[in-house]
Amino acid sequence: MIDKKCQNLEDKELVALSIDDSQYFYCLMKRYEDKLSRYVGRFTYMSDDDIADVVQESFINAYQHLNDCDCNLKFSSWLYRIVHNQAINFLKKNKQGIKIDIDNDDEFVEWLIADVNIEKETVTKYFNSQIREILEKLKPEYKEVLVLKFFEDKDYSEISDILQKPMGTVATLISRAKIQFKKIYEKEN
Amino acid sequence: MKKKIDVSLQTINTINKKQIRPIPRWEFVAKNWGLWLGLGLCLGLLTIAIGISWFGIIENIIVPYSWLFVATVFLGLAFLFFEKTRRAYRFEKVWVIVFLVIIGTLIGGTIFKFGIASKIDRGLGQRSSLYRQMVPLKLLVWNNPEDGYLSGEIVRLTKDGLVINSFDGKEWNVLTNNPLVRGRIKIAVGEKIKLIGTKIENNVFEAGEIRPWGGVENNY
Repeated sequence: MIDKKCQNLEDKELVALSIDDSQYFYCLMKRYEDKLSRYVGRFTYMSDDDIADVVQESFINAYQHLNDCDCNLKFSSWLYRIVHNQAINFLKKNKQGIKIDIDNDDEFVEWLIADVNIEKETVTKYFNSQIREILEKLKPEYKEVLVLKFFEDKDYSEISDILQKPMGTVATLISRAKIQFKKIYEKEN
Repeated sequence: MKKKIDVSLQTINTINKKQIRPIPRWEFVAKNWGLWLGLGLCLGLLTIAIGISWFGIIENIIVPYSWLFVATVFLGLAFLFFEKTRRAYRFEKVWVIVFLVIIGTLIGGTIFKFGIASKIDRGLGQRSSLYRQMVPLKLLVWNNPEDGYLSGEIVRLTKDGLVINSFDGKEWNVLTNNPLVRGRIKIAVGEKIKLIGTKIENNVFEAGEIRPWGGVENNY
């Protein structure tokens, strides 16, 4: 019943309604549950149960801070920021590093070919082996921006809001990720 | 096959069961106001500290390390308050510091220019002896002919310059050979002045620069 009511409502409207009625927050959670779980899975080594825990903790945290929601920004950016911080805290607590669990995503492949100057056949042929290995060797902060840029399709402004870093720093991180990727690739070939 | 966890359902059940509620809006508003208030306060104290530092450096010819230390502390606090505000992450940290220093220096310079810094320094000096120990009195600084600083009241004008009575009661012949005159000053009997120059012999001083006693920023 409430699901139907939520369908035509925007995130901002749902946030306002959720403050008085938690059922509307359920709609918001449903809207973002899969995206956020996938996002956490992409840059951590967590099990499905741990991912579920992190996302649940993030939702509860977000619910408690609804009155502090900076809804002039995209609600999704605010929610991604909470999940990101929760996941980082989990990794620190469990002494784990950041990984990238990626698919052969089109935009990422295009970036490898155009910006990192790797031939298309190489990318296709070695995607599951060498390319993944190189990604694993990148610095954690580079992995974070790459996941958000290429696998979550976030623009610079959204990445800046999620990671709470200036846009210039985001651009620099992406550029440095490219340089480091290129260096490792050339060294290994 | 493992069944997919319905996180949303689990979460809403937890929220309802534990009766979790959103934190009231006023708490965030109060926190936000507190941050901006703290930032404003630190910025105000930073500008006063810089203003008095200007006063110390330009007027008293001493580097007021105590005030520079105070300025550094409030610069750090202002930075920390700003970093806690909502959109602070959008600005590069180094530029935030540069901006705070520029604002502090400009407003501090204005405070000095309009004589407010010297009034604060005087007021603090009158109320606290500890303050005067930390920030030496202008009179002590300007009564060091050996180091090239002399001050006093003009008692007469001579063909080579003028004669002053220093504030410790000694009479000095001051030779003036086209010295630099800073600030609004009238060379006349009864005027109080500060001199920068060289002690030539006992009670003879050659002035390279003449300033009004009250300060070049405000000839009171």
